[in-house]
Amino acid sequence: MSERDDFLANIRGSLGRSAPLDAPVSDAPHSAGPPGELDARVEAVRELISRDADNLMSVLARVAETSGWKVARVADARAAGEYVLRVAREIEARSLVYSLHQVVRDAMPLDALSEAGMKAEPVALGHESDERDAEDRARLRTVMEASDIGVTGVDYAISETGTCVIIPHAGVSRLVSLLPPVHIALVERGQVLPSLDELFTLRRDDFVNGNLGSYMNLITGPSRSADIEYKLITGVHGPGEVHMVLVG
Amino acid sequence: METKTRQFRQNSAAALSDANVQNNLAGLYSGFHSARITASAATSDWDELSDVGRRIKAHVIENLDYYLEMLARNVERAGGHVYFAKDARAAADYVAGVARKHSVEMVIKSKSMLSEEMGLNERLEEEGIEPVETDLGEFIVQLAGDTPFHIIAPAIHKSREDVSQLFREALGSPYYEDIEDLGREARVQLRQKFMEAGMGVSGANFLVAETGTVTLVTNEGNGRMCTSMPKVHVAISGMEKVVPSIEDLSVFLRLLIRSATGQMLSSYVTTVTGPRREYEEDGPEEFHLVVVDNGRSRLLADPDLREALFCLRCGACMNACPVYRKVGGHAYGWVYPGPIGAIVSPMLTGLSDAKDLPYASTLCGACKEACPVGIDLPRMLLYLRKELTQGDNYPDQRSASAAESAAMKGWRASVSSDGAMRAANLLARLGQSALSRGGHISKLPGPMSGWTEHRDFPTAAKPFRSRWREMKDQ
Repeated sequence: MSERDDFLANIRGSLGRSAPLDAPVSDAPHSAGPPGELDARVEAVRELISRDADNLMSVLARVAETSGWKVARVADARAAGEYVLRVAREIEARSLVYSLHQVVRDAMPLDALSEAGMKAEPVALGHESDERDAEDRARLRTVMEASDIGVTGVDYAISETGTCVIIPHAGVSRLVSLLPPVHIALVERGQVLPSLDELFTLRRDDFVNGNLGSYMNLITGPSRSADIEYKLITGVHGPGEVHMVLVG
Repeated sequence: METKTRQFRQNSAAALSDANVQNNLAGLYSGFHSARITASAATSDWDELSDVGRRIKAHVIENLDYYLEMLARNVERAGGHVYFAKDARAAADYVAGVARKHSVEMVIKSKSMLSEEMGLNERLEEEGIEPVETDLGEFIVQLAGDTPFHIIAPAIHKSREDVSQLFREALGSPYYEDIEDLGREARVQLRQKFMEAGMGVSGANFLVAETGTVTLVTNEGNGRMCTSMPKVHVAISGMEKVVPSIEDLSVFLRLLIRSATGQMLSSYVTTVTGPRREYEEDGPEEFHLVVVDNGRSRLLADPDLREALFCLRCGACMNACPVYRKVGGHAYGWVYPGPIGAIVSPMLTGLSDAKDLPYASTLCGACKEACPVGIDLPRMLLYLRKELTQGDNYPDQRSASAAESAAMKGWRASVSSDGAMRAANLLARLGQSALSRGGHISKLPGPMSGWTEHRDFPTAAKPFRSRWREMKDQ
């Protein structure tokens, strides 16, 4: 028997069973509605977030503030770009990195940043050869590490907790929202979910459709620690300053 | 980690007389404990969540082999490797083997109590590999050559002055007055390590069987770095951390985080499903999940203790415990302190050596009330006390001496009938005359001296019935 078989056999023995189970001995208690109706739940979530988008944006703006974000509401991507420029000027940034979410492509005020003497670079690989990608990856990491601001879009936001959800994929690095000391997240209308329940229902649907991906980050405010004398400090490893820009 | 559960009495006495430790412990109640109460009160369906959470845990533990097989299948389907380790040594050997295979020189780690169980840092050092703790509290503990004091806040026994002094000595940094400066120093020191390390090791808060997903709850961002920057990521987890569906995470994230720190959600929640995909910009090329038993199956095999495996490791029971809040985390002598530690540590490291731990409780029930999945800690503490004295389930672990057992049997005989009790009372009153002073005894002889060490013992009084008769006669 392999180590794994031994390990599992020992568990079975501890539970007073000897043969592997084909199905659980009892039904799993469901935490998000009745089982077997995932499609219907997903449909209901999609309907809700578009119908209730305005209200969800307002709740998110309020809650995000209490969870440590600096919150701004702007009319469109161009105005979001102006906001990015203003923050960059305020902190006297020399360089920015950004992910290639569509809203970020639309928003980034590249000309104005360049005129102001600031560098802005997208974090994206060519994905043509492994060698080239490895080189670029190493270079981009150093660029991100030295950058003052990282700008990203989001996949979802959650009004219950004031959270941004980022699911990395092509053009969306795991690190743009992590390595620079300032993170600006652009949230679009229709991306706001009421609670964690809806997020994980949608993610389960993604899994069923083969789209779970390898990674997901839920970001709620700045990097925090209270490890010394319970005193809250920010920016220990991740960004100490985080902006949530609600677009539309 | 070295087991020091035998030294509970000495180590708790040392903590009680350490003003610095007492001062730092006092903050637990006003800090984490109050924050938990506020956060759970702000969650409208808290009781319902708690109930569902408990039922899911019970279901998983009842079907643990089934869900672990499902988990392994799905981690492998996502391109990861899975290793089932029967004990701490096997787990540490496996992690060291992965590091060796990749010629890793430095491993960055995010906080994991299991890593302490495994003695992973020592094992890596044996291989000439440098383990670097990156959680601020763990970083402090590692620099000091210390062990974690609390499962959520490992360095909470140290004051800012202690940490400033430590940083000056170990890192050559200036003496900082402000905690912000200490945080900044740690950021600078560790950034370079993140950039260079060949392997990252993380713990796991939840394992999702259906998707093969590891979930991490963190606040500083070091967990994100450990799982994103190095070429290899190894996640280590106790076997009880599995949940069936990714949809269950919404329940457990609320229960865990609101009970641990009182935040509505921690700064970061990260899910990892296998290594990075081809189309991704960054992330590890190789992912390993190590699932560890290390004595947990002993809890599983005993129906009276099985629910200890429902534990989410939030630390709420220790923050609520009047004993933990005085004796602190080191007194318990192993990785897990507080009420849950008093059950888990004896079962994982040896019950008779840890015989003082189940008694380190007033049985006030504050731990059970604080537990987000309603683990009946007082019941299990009483059960272990019984097993240590007269139970039949762990006969070779019984710790009561023959004299103590005889004394308890004698006590039982003397109070089980009216006649016996009156006779015993009479004997006691005759015997105590030499020791009693003004209605109390301040020093009992020999093996009974413990009863009078901290307070006087009341003398046996004339029974009420005799006194009543005398009063009536007057």
